[in-house]
Amino acid sequence: MAEVEETLKRIEAHKGVIGTIVVNAEGIPIRTNLDNSTAVQYAGLLRHLTMLARSTVRDIDPQNDLIVLRIRTKKYEIMVAPENGFLLIVIQNPCE
Amino acid sequence: VNQSTRHTNSVVGFSSRKSFSLGGGSKVLEKSVFDEDDNDVTPQPLYQADPGAVQAKASRFFVDEISAGSASEQTTATGSFTMPFSRSVLGSSRISSQSTIESTNEEIEDTFTKQDIPINFPGLVEYLVHDTNSISLLPEFLDKIQNMYESNLLVLLQDKEKNNQYAEVCRNRMGNDKYVDRSMQTLNGAAKNKHVQTDSMAMVDTATTVTTWDMYDTLRGPEQDNTVHNPEPEKVEYPEAVMDTNRGAERSVSVGTSSLKEEVFGSSVNAESDLQLIMLSENFQQCLLVMERNILRNTFQPKLAAYRQLPVLEDLGSPVKSQALERLWAFSCELSRGCSVSSMAWNKRNPDLLAVGYGEFDSSTQRAGLVCCWSLKNPTWPERVFHCDSAVTSLDFSANNPSQLAVGMHDGSIAIYNVHSQDNKSPVISSSECPNKHLGPVWQLRWTQQELSITGDEKVEALFSVSADGRISKWFVFNNGLDCIDLMKLKRIHNAKKKAGGNNTEKKSESVLSALTPGLCFDFHPTDSSLYLVGTWEGFIHKCSCSNSQQFLETFRKHFCPVNCIAWCPLSPDVFLSCSSDWTIQLWKQDRLNPVLGFTSTQMAVYDIKWSPKWATVFGAINEGQLEIWDLNSSILDPVAVQPAAPGVKMKSLLFATQTDCVLVGDSDGQVTVYQLKNFSVGESSQVKLWNRQPCRWFR
Repeated sequence: MAEVEETLKRIEAHKGVIGTIVVNAEGIPIRTNLDNSTAVQYAGLLRHLTMLARSTVRDIDPQNDLIVLRIRTKKYEIMVAPENGFLLIVIQNPCE
Repeated sequence: VNQSTRHTNSVVGFSSRKSFSLGGGSKVLEKSVFDEDDNDVTPQPLYQADPGAVQAKASRFFVDEISAGSASEQTTATGSFTMPFSRSVLGSSRISSQSTIESTNEEIEDTFTKQDIPINFPGLVEYLVHDTNSISLLPEFLDKIQNMYESNLLVLLQDKEKNNQYAEVCRNRMGNDKYVDRSMQTLNGAAKNKHVQTDSMAMVDTATTVTTWDMYDTLRGPEQDNTVHNPEPEKVEYPEAVMDTNRGAERSVSVGTSSLKEEVFGSSVNAESDLQLIMLSENFQQCLLVMERNILRNTFQPKLAAYRQLPVLEDLGSPVKSQALERLWAFSCELSRGCSVSSMAWNKRNPDLLAVGYGEFDSSTQRAGLVCCWSLKNPTWPERVFHCDSAVTSLDFSANNPSQLAVGMHDGSIAIYNVHSQDNKSPVISSSECPNKHLGPVWQLRWTQQELSITGDEKVEALFSVSADGRISKWFVFNNGLDCIDLMKLKRIHNAKKKAGGNNTEKKSESVLSALTPGLCFDFHPTDSSLYLVGTWEGFIHKCSCSNSQQFLETFRKHFCPVNCIAWCPLSPDVFLSCSSDWTIQLWKQDRLNPVLGFTSTQMAVYDIKWSPKWATVFGAINEGQLEIWDLNSSILDPVAVQPAAPGVKMKSLLFATQTDCVLVGDSDGQVTVYQLKNFSVGESSQVKLWNRQPCRWFR
């Protein structure tokens, strides 16, 4: 438990990471370091996109599964890792 | 009796039945007589049969007008009728042999030959002609087919003819005696209404989207979740392998279509406990790991790409052709900061995994040692951290069991750790209870494959160690611990000059002082694993064999300070390098007792030396202040590339990367820096030429 907490803190402290959100099964962010409204917005929007991406991957090969979905935008990069029951969202600005 | 022989001779058959049953071939025996106008003048019987009785005859028409011989097979109507009603269509028209031919005929089975068959009304007379003799020739399928074919043709022609005749009839209809109008009446049934009532059927609209994975999931059933994350346990690439996913699996319900929509993760709605549950699940840890690596990849991507030797866009302004070292990145974290790196080793199976041992052994204070396993994918945090009791002095990964890491420590004990699982923090085996354990720091460890095992499948691997108590030992697992047998004891050898005089005194003093000298390094021959070299505190290098534990095969003397490292050249046989605290590096050949070449660049003790695995003439050496890369092909006087250490930091350990042109340097600050060798492109064949060239100059 402590290790997980530590890892999460480490991730948050990495260079360029703007925020992290952990979303539970119902789409409610349960842990985040962004403000609540932004977190809720990200959670709601990315949930559907992740489900669609996962469905696409599994449609092509049901034995395959989605591990990480990365969306590189102009300003930063959004990374979503879906799992059974939760979503881990990290927003990073690699600042090249 | 309106009978005109002409008219009614024709056999008219307008049959609605199109099918022909060929019951059997039958020969037509009755002949018809035609006059020269092709009029049928067959004499008619005087007796006319009852109109109600039709003599059904089986006959067969051959539409074979061409063959004259068919005349014998034409049938004629033996009985002809003129029906009181009209529409004996064809009777009115020309009677010709053709019409008789073209009349329909039906072949009726033998059973019908003598029966009376009612006439088919309406309106058209059906004449059936049959023969008395009917021979059924059952096997004649071919004939039947032909007959069918011909009868089909016949039908065609007859239909055509019928059409013509009908047209004729229609024309002749008006005012013709033959045609009488007649009316008919059909019975109309009385209509009756009846009500029926049924239960109303409820209609429900359902729709679902079916996807391939949906069907797959339903088929797999609930055990899918339990097995979906099972990796192979032997993979060391993911040493943080997911062990027990059952804990996470039982909390999620995946049933068919609902697998994505409703993931009932625990039964609680409380966000806090959700967080707890999530944090504890293995999947989350895996997720975090993946995510962290992704983040780091963003940051380190150019460096990692350079490491992997992906083509990097060079700055156009600097076409540097000289051989240089470029710093890529450094493995460091807070745990390791301040600890001096003592040894490094690559994993034998996974070339991205690096084990680094930290330990401060120069100073008198004994700090606890640390072993970190770093992955290339995460230079900021080690994948595994093992805390050891005392300073770590040497490390090696096993080749047969790639997840076993042997660690030698300053207090003389050797521990074997399993890096595979993340939970295991304590060594699998340790030699601390062994009575034969080393009494001094274990300066070097090596797993070496020796002779083939009995089955011959894989080589038996044994762990060898050399330590400051002067023993070279071979370790094996015994009674849940390690035990060793001594391969060699490093006896102190005195200098040849001193030995010349005063043997007795020397022997006496020998017995008083410890007879063993600390061994600092050793290396096994790359091909002949029973041969090895040992470097000692005295500065001697002994060549020994595993089979001979009493004597050295040879002794190489040149250094007068402790030999810090020995390395066989992996690409060129019988060549090895040694470096020592006397500031020199010596290049030896196995059969010469004197070194072939010596290198000195700075006046500092050389701590570590390694051959490049890729180029036969390149080796790297570190002394306290800098990293030097020597290329024997270019220059034997100076290193071709020099990388000074950061100020205040001493370099301690050196390692070449096996698959890329990179070199790793560990320093006293706990950082392992990765440098890339740029523009090194030395052919391997140059080594051979070197030996031809050099010995004449340096031979002593």
